[in-house]
Amino acid sequence: MILLLILLAFAAPAAAQDVTYRGFADIQSAAYPQTTPQDADRVAVEGRFRFEPAYRAASWLTLSGSGDARIDNLGLVDRTWRLDVRDRGVQRPAFSVRHAAATLRRGPVAIGLGKQFIRWGKADILNPTDRFAPRDFLEVTDDEFLAVTGTRVQYERGAHSVDVVWVPLFTPSRIPLMGRRWAAATPQTPGSTGFIDLEPTFPRRSQYGARWNARGSGFELSLSYFDGFNHLPQFTAQPLSGRPLVALRRSYAPLRMAGVDAAVPLRWFTVKSEAAWLKTSSATADDVVLYVVQLERQSGELSLVGGYAGEIVTQRRSAFAFAPDRGLTRAFLGRAGYTLGPTRDVAFEAAVRQNLDGLWLKGQYSEAVDAHWRWTLAGTLIGGDERDFIGQYRRNSHLLATLRYSF
Amino acid sequence: MNRGSAIGDRQSSIVVLVSLIVLMSGGVHAQSDARQIVAEAQRRSEAKSQRYEGLLQVLDARGKVADKRWAFMRLGSHGASKAALRFLAPPEVKGVTLLILNHPDRASDQWMWTPALQRERRIALQDRSTRFFGTDFSFEDLEERDVNQYEYRLLGEEAIDGAACWHIESVPGQKKTSQYTKSEVWIRKDNYALAQVESFIKTEVVRRLKYSSFAQVQGIWAGRRLEMSDLRRKSRTILTLEKLEYNVPLKEEEFTLQALRNPL
Repeated sequence: MILLLILLAFAAPAAAQDVTYRGFADIQSAAYPQTTPQDADRVAVEGRFRFEPAYRAASWLTLSGSGDARIDNLGLVDRTWRLDVRDRGVQRPAFSVRHAAATLRRGPVAIGLGKQFIRWGKADILNPTDRFAPRDFLEVTDDEFLAVTGTRVQYERGAHSVDVVWVPLFTPSRIPLMGRRWAAATPQTPGSTGFIDLEPTFPRRSQYGARWNARGSGFELSLSYFDGFNHLPQFTAQPLSGRPLVALRRSYAPLRMAGVDAAVPLRWFTVKSEAAWLKTSSATADDVVLYVVQLERQSGELSLVGGYAGEIVTQRRSAFAFAPDRGLTRAFLGRAGYTLGPTRDVAFEAAVRQNLDGLWLKGQYSEAVDAHWRWTLAGTLIGGDERDFIGQYRRNSHLLATLRYSF
Repeated sequence: MNRGSAIGDRQSSIVVLVSLIVLMSGGVHAQSDARQIVAEAQRRSEAKSQRYEGLLQVLDARGKVADKRWAFMRLGSHGASKAALRFLAPPEVKGVTLLILNHPDRASDQWMWTPALQRERRIALQDRSTRFFGTDFSFEDLEERDVNQYEYRLLGEEAIDGAACWHIESVPGQKKTSQYTKSEVWIRKDNYALAQVESFIKTEVVRRLKYSSFAQVQGIWAGRRLEMSDLRRKSRTILTLEKLEYNVPLKEEEFTLQALRNPL
């Protein structure tokens, strides 16, 4: 904050066109035909207001931010009246600073300071090289990215660009609440009847990353490196003496990543691929290679993306983790969208595990009523084996209706 | 992808469309050679940079209207220019930005930034026939191309909206890729401004672009109302250029992937 004030002090007064904002208010209602063993609620309703202002304080300085206010009926949203900046809570905050950053640009260099979104993978269906991109997985299939707090320096000259990222404050992915319908499978201990969720152990060390990208007329290629922590947790479980409960503690494994991603447009479609070798020093997490190969095509009103996400475990260790990134591998993934008209479109998404133990299908119709209002109706079908990452949510098929006012 | 429209492409691009619509006050003798006519039209539209706000009205076959607004800026001129197009409205697409880097010897590079996704996406060459954000302009129509990328043939003379025009056929050269097989272009004889462009796939006219509301801005004649019709879908988009300016001070760094992510 102090830094932003200093930057503002050096900035020239802004004209009206140097201020902009956007945002929306929406209400979402999900209806679940089935209950789950841990949750009998069938209807979830959430209201949200988002405001995203931006201000060009000087030709070289832009300040941008985004804030959310939320409320819901099932307690996925925290009910305390406080402004959350760190995004570390198990619930969604009622009031939060979603991102707040200053961007300084001079010639080929841009520096982003503050809480910001950092995404750099090229694939569309899964991004194993995006290690600074934690998500809100409270409802696993309807997730949203969370920002990280740090510094990003970008240098762009001609067809080459380099990104260097430093993140001193760790932001974890928000995982499903225990005892609720989207709760992931947890370690089983004989005789236990429940869990106590202990305060997680957050890493204190900074995270670093770098990426080099080159683009040519017939290709685009990137190499990336990351040294930090997995934003998805692993669990350690300990029985509590004298009580039929298990204490669960979340921790975040140290992680190094070497990644590569590429896009090659061919005559009929574009091939995109992304691969990450993830190596950890944790004794309870696996070393893996995650990769994605996808084909992409747009034709007229139709857009198609389809591909395969794979996983190679290079070092298996005993662990219990919530890992949607790995849970969507060894799977065929696809997305199709069709524009019906100036105001209407439909979309379909699918993920099918190669052993058919997990299936996720989503269909969506959306229509703008006027320049501000849009309604969306979506249906999600989930099936499979309860031991599969996708299949475990087989009782969570649902209908989702959204009404949004954008401004 | 079919080889395509020479000047038709170029002229159906709103970038070029505007920049080619030129007239200087002094008379220039009509050229009988088609290439010379096009080259002269291009020469008269030369400007170091350009900026405008575009109001778009998209009308589908049932006459349903969706309004959009974008801010456009271009640096450099024909063939090697850079352009950025940022949506200002409606609110749900506000901030969506298209970056176009034109090349004299090949198709342009294009990237689109979507704020809701917080990422840019490169628009592949084979995807350029896709409509641009629900308008009747395709991504390819937004490119600016050089006169040398096409072969021309003078088809005759014809009046468009009462103005005498040269009627010219343009076909992409060997190195040019396009969704269009060819284009037919009408250039006004009185001011060398584009009056109409029809773009063909094989022998079928698929898009028609008409210009009107001509005015001279900073010595350059510009059509400030462009109507693009998608003849297959029976839909059309009317683009009205507002706050049109030439030779405005723009910096190279405003046309980079970094700048694409900037909300202003």
